[in-house]
Amino acid sequence: MTTADPDARIEGPQRTDPQYARPALAPPPAAPGTEDAFADTVDPAAERPGGGGPAGPRLGVTGWLRWLWRQLTSMRTALILLFLLALASVPGSVLPQEGIDPAAVSQYYAAHPGLAPILDKLSLFSVFAAPWFAAVYLLLFASLAGCVLPRTIRLAGSARQKPPRAPRNLARLPFSASMSSAEAPADALRSAERLLRSRRFRVQTGDGWVSAEKGYLREVGNLLFHIALLALLFSVAMGGIFGYKANRLLVVGQSFANTPTDLDVFHPGRLVGPASLQPFEISLQNFRARYVTSGPQLDQPITYQAPLSYRSSPGAPLRHYVLSVNHPLVVDSVSVYLIGHGYAPEFTITDGTGHVRWQGPVPFIPVDQTSLTSEGVIKVPDARPAQLGFAGVFLPTAVDVHGQLQSAFPAALFPRVSLVAYAGNLGENGPQAQSVYDLDTRQMHQLPVPPKPLAPGQSVRLPDGYGTLKFTGYTQWASLAITYDPGQLPALISGIVALAGLILSFLVRRRRVFVRAEPAADGRAEVVLGGLARSDAAGGFEAEFTELTARFNELHAGSRVPSTVLPQQERSEQ
Amino acid sequence: MSRLHRPVLAAVAALAALAAAGCTAGPIGASTPLSSGQSFVGSSYESTVFRPGSRPEAPGVSGTTVTGSRLSLASYRGDVVVLNFWGSWCAPCRDEAPALGTLSGKLAPEGVRFVGVDIRDEPDSALAFMSTFRISYPSISDPGDLIALQFRATDPPSAIPSTIIIDRSGRIAARIIGPVSYRTLRTLLTPIVAEHA
Repeated sequence: MTTADPDARIEGPQRTDPQYARPALAPPPAAPGTEDAFADTVDPAAERPGGGGPAGPRLGVTGWLRWLWRQLTSMRTALILLFLLALASVPGSVLPQEGIDPAAVSQYYAAHPGLAPILDKLSLFSVFAAPWFAAVYLLLFASLAGCVLPRTIRLAGSARQKPPRAPRNLARLPFSASMSSAEAPADALRSAERLLRSRRFRVQTGDGWVSAEKGYLREVGNLLFHIALLALLFSVAMGGIFGYKANRLLVVGQSFANTPTDLDVFHPGRLVGPASLQPFEISLQNFRARYVTSGPQLDQPITYQAPLSYRSSPGAPLRHYVLSVNHPLVVDSVSVYLIGHGYAPEFTITDGTGHVRWQGPVPFIPVDQTSLTSEGVIKVPDARPAQLGFAGVFLPTAVDVHGQLQSAFPAALFPRVSLVAYAGNLGENGPQAQSVYDLDTRQMHQLPVPPKPLAPGQSVRLPDGYGTLKFTGYTQWASLAITYDPGQLPALISGIVALAGLILSFLVRRRRVFVRAEPAADGRAEVVLGGLARSDAAGGFEAEFTELTARFNELHAGSRVPSTVLPQQERSEQ
Repeated sequence: MSRLHRPVLAAVAALAALAAAGCTAGPIGASTPLSSGQSFVGSSYESTVFRPGSRPEAPGVSGTTVTGSRLSLASYRGDVVVLNFWGSWCAPCRDEAPALGTLSGKLAPEGVRFVGVDIRDEPDSALAFMSTFRISYPSISDPGDLIALQFRATDPPSAIPSTIIIDRSGRIAARIIGPVSYRTLRTLLTPIVAEHA
C-alpha cells in the first residue's frame, strides 16, 4: 500500500472487496479472510484484464467507445483537463481581451500589426469565448460528470451496506488487542456492541463477533467536492449564457437607460436579447475625486465618489446611491461598478453663419492616469460653410515645463484646453459607423489657429469665416461597468461546498473495529479486538483504538491488562 | 480512485480556484481604461415585419421635442407612425436622414406621420442636424434613452439608428435596425398604409 504509482490502485483481485465494488449485486462473502477486511474502493471495470488497454483483439466499436469513455472519466484525464483549463486562461490575463478592454485590443493591433491577426484567428483576444476553451471546458465537464455520477450511485449503495463479517483471525489486523472478560462471551459482545454504537459506529453482529464501521463522511465529502466542482463549472457556464457585460461613459448631469442603444460597449451572453436587459436608468449627479496633495504619494487618488440617482424600472421610485471603487450599485441583480473617470470640457461652437451648432460637454479620455492629461475630439458635422473638427488636449493643472505645457496634478486647479482646428469633410456621410473619439482628417485641412491654450470662458475665432469656439468650462464623467452574472452566487456557494467537502474528506477517516469473543476454560470469555483504518495519514486511529480498548477493558472489570499490538504493516500513505 | 485522491485533491482545488478566477473577469480599480466608441450598426440592416394578427401594442410614447413643445403619440392614433431613433453624432443616421426627410413629406397626405427620437444628444446639435437635412417632422429629445426602454417588452431597438413602424391602431407593424433606404421604407410602408384602422 506504500506504492507511489497512481495507477497501482488495485493490488490484485484478492484485495478486492466485492461488497465495495458491487454493493447492490454481490452478497457478502461467506468467510472472508483478513485480507478482505478492508480493501479499497475499486472500480470493477477498471481492473478487468485487457479491458483497460487498446490492444485487445476483440475490441469492437463499443469496446473502443467504452475504452474512450473510461479514459475520459479517469482521474488522470480530469486532472490534465483541469491543468489545460488553467493554462488556457493564462493568455486571457496576459493579452488584452475584447470583452474587458476593447481599446487595449486595438492598441495591441496598432503595436503588433503582423502578430495581432494571427492571435485573433486563434481567439486569443477573447479566450473565454474561444472554441478550444469551450472544448476543454466541456470535456472536463463530461469527465467530472462521468466520474461523479457512478460514484454517487456506489456511495448510495455502500451507505446502506452493513459492515462486513469480522475476519477470523483478528490478531492479524494492523491493530489488535486481546483480553479476558469476567462475563460470558454473549454478554461481552453485547457490551462491545453498546460501546461501539455509543461511539456512532455502524454495527453488525453475528455468531461470536461484532463488526463496526465509521467514517462514511469521508466519501460523502469526496463526492461533495466533485459535485460542487461540477456545479462550479455549471455556474460559470450559466453566467456566460445568461449574463452580460456592458460599459457606459456618463457625463455629470446626464443619464442613461440599460438598453442596447444606450450602452457604449455591450457583450451579451449567448441567450441574452435586448428584451432581457433589466430596465433600470441611472443618472450621474456629481463626481468627486480627492488626491494626495503633498509628499511622495503626490497625485495618488484618495477617494472617488460618484453620487447617482436611479430607478430600477420606469416609474419605480427614484433612489440615491454613492458609487465608489469596489462598492458597486446592485440594482435588479445587476452590478454597476465605477471603473474610470475623466474630464469633459464644455464648448459652444458657432459656425460661419452665426448659428450655434454645438453646445455641451465633450468627454476627453485620459492619456496619463497620474496627471489626467486628456485627449478628445469635437465634431461639428452641421457647421456651415464647412464641417468642423477639433482635436484637443485638456490639462487639469497646466504648467509650463521648458516651453512645453503639461498637467502637474489630476485635480482641475488650473484647467486649460489646447486645440487643433480642422475644416472640411468629417467623412461621416456614408452608412459606416464612426467612433465619436476618432477624428478622420483625411478630407479636412488644418486651420491656422494660434496655439495659445484656452482658459475657461475664453474663445477663439476661426480664420476664414469658419466661426468661433468658446471653452465655457468643464465637468467630469465616470465610466461604469455593468455586469450581470447569474452564475456568481451559485459559483460562490459551489466553491464553499467544494472546500467543505475537501476538508471533510481530509479529516474523516474510515475505520473498522471488530470484536470476537470465545468461551475460555473458566467460563469467562476470551475477547479479541481488531481494528484497521484506511488512509490514516492524519494519524489518530491508533489513539482511538487504544482508547476503545481501554474503555472496553473498564467495562469488564477484573480482566487482565490488554496487550495492544502495534501496526504490523505501515498503513500510512504519505 | 480513493487512495490516489488525497494528494491530488489539493491540486484539483487549487486549479479549480485558478480556473474560476480566470473565468470571472470582474471589474478592477479605477484605472481601467474606458469604453471606446458608440454602439451602432453599419451599412447592414435587418427588418422585422409583424403580421396584422401578431402585432404587439406600442407603448404610449410622449415627451418634449427638441424645439420645446409637447408631443404624444396617442394623438396620432388613426395614422401610421414612423418612429425613428437617431442622434446627430451617429454617422449612419446622417446616411438615412435624406430618405426619411423626403418620405415624410411625400407620405403625409396618406396619413403617415414621422416622429424622431433624438438620443444621447444636445439640443443645439440636434437642431443643426435637422436644419442640414431639412427635417421638418418633430423629434422628441430623449438624452437618457428612456423611450427605447419603453419598447423593451415588445421589440426594443438594439442599435442606432432604428426605425419602428406603428400601424393605424397603435400596434408595432415593423422594425428596422440600421439605416433605412428610401426603397426599403417605402416597400415596408405600402401595405401598412393601405390598412384601415
